Amino acid sequence: MRYYIGAEARLRRTIEDTAMSVFAAWSYEEVITPSVDYYDLFEQGMGQAEAQRGFRFTDNDGRLLALRPDVTSSVARMAATLLSERPRPLRFCYAALVFRQQPQSHAEWRRENTQLGCELIGGGGHEADLEVLRLAAEILSRLNLQSSYVITINNVEIFNGVAAHLELPATAREQLRRLIDTRETAELQRFINGFSNSEGRAFLQPTQLTGKRDVISAVRNVITNARSVAALDSLEELWTAIESLGLADHFEIDLSDVSSLDYYTGLSLKVFVHGAGTSVGRGGRYDGLTGNFGRAEPAVGFVLNLDALTEVLARRMTNV
Amino acid sequence: MITIAIAKGRMQDDALALLARAGVRVAEDARNSRRLALTDDSGRYRFIFVKPADVPVYVEHGIADCGVVGRDVLLESQADLLLPLDLGIARCRIVVAAADAEIMTRNLGMLRVATKYSQIAGAHFGARGIPVEIIQLSGSVELAPALGLADLIVDLVETGRTLRENGLTVVDEIAESTGKLVVNRASYQLKADAITQLVKALETALNGGGSV
Repeated sequence: MRYYIGAEARLRRTIEDTAMSVFAAWSYEEVITPSVDYYDLFEQGMGQAEAQRGFRFTDNDGRLLALRPDVTSSVARMAATLLSERPRPLRFCYAALVFRQQPQSHAEWRRENTQLGCELIGGGGHEADLEVLRLAAEILSRLNLQSSYVITINNVEIFNGVAAHLELPATAREQLRRLIDTRETAELQRFINGFSNSEGRAFLQPTQLTGKRDVISAVRNVITNARSVAALDSLEELWTAIESLGLADHFEIDLSDVSSLDYYTGLSLKVFVHGAGTSVGRGGRYDGLTGNFGRAEPAVGFVLNLDALTEVLARRMTNV
Repeated sequence: MITIAIAKGRMQDDALALLARAGVRVAEDARNSRRLALTDDSGRYRFIFVKPADVPVYVEHGIADCGVVGRDVLLESQADLLLPLDLGIARCRIVVAAADAEIMTRNLGMLRVATKYSQIAGAHFGARGIPVEIIQLSGSVELAPALGLADLIVDLVETGRTLRENGLTVVDEIAESTGKLVVNRASYQLKADAITQLVKALETALNGGGSV
């Protein structure tokens, strides 16, 4: 529970305006979605585990409602239903409060957060991925954070391909995912030794999973299943585009970022800024989502956490 | 500069000795002082000494970039951290102990468990479907069965001497605990070079290599 007063409120508003003006310049239309909706929507949109972090309550007629724990679910349904006739791609942006209970990370969690977000629906391929990455980079540099942000990118299909190749049952897959996500090298070694198949070894050197292009070439020696290789190719192609835009200093490949596998279907990204102890934004490709609402099509997007950005920039102003 | 939070107590001396072998040295007089924040000889690392349970808190919030703390504390805190290195120091076990080993099979109602580790104990018995009442204590847990406060305890055991002297035996082992290097998720990306360097130096020291 947080108050913003005077200068801080102005700063927060400026950050929001900056982001929204960058979105507008890239032809993203603002969308305002209901803050209270039926809980089913969010379970379809986010998956049960995430949706259950929302605040839930019942209507007079007994139906289960929720304060929106995310905006993407609503936008995806809107695209699939209300706007099904509109020509693709659709570009939407928003600055909206989301509400969550139960911390995933104690440091990150607030009951309410304002997300500055965008969704590009109906656009696939690298052009769409690159577009949202450039948008995120442009917003951060317009906020004068150009020397202090890092965006990490990964393709979740690299891990999914390895897990499928190892024929892991769901619990073992989750265990492997967690060990890679927390970089528990020693435990990971023990886990992988139990398999004759050696592809899991690619994840054994966590310090070599984060970096620039060489990260990809390094794991190519170990990972050979078709699904992962296709994802590696795709990630490398994206990296080439990032390099040619001169943005390589601001981006890192992080193959061990496997935190939200069941949501994303390709690119995943996280935004880090000096001065913030947790990530200040995240996003990726979620081609499976709109299908839940009756119209499967590619989609990609990200959100930045306005409250976290305000905190970083406010501290920076007082330190100058 | 990298800030490292170190758990005071059992972990502290082992951690500093290991760091010294990895080439991160703290001057003798500073180490013997009672200051809670120190800088190493090279000026690249700052150490803060905090209670074990506070290490995950400092690191998760990014106040400290790294920390050295036991797995027992991490299991209990449920903090969202990276754990790139097992330092193998301060090795001990988290066990279930009782005065009467047969209590587990004889008492089928509600067992009372005294512990400092309510999360670990709750998860352990919960996973086995054993109904327990957890009694949270903050120290001298071994006393609880003798005084009738609890049937069982869940606690850390190094040599087992304290248990024996209080008439307790180990009924079950929950997990082994050693000191871990933990890293803040944002620092891992934003100070990647410095942290990779630290991890590698510690790895070399652990594998018996000399100091840099």
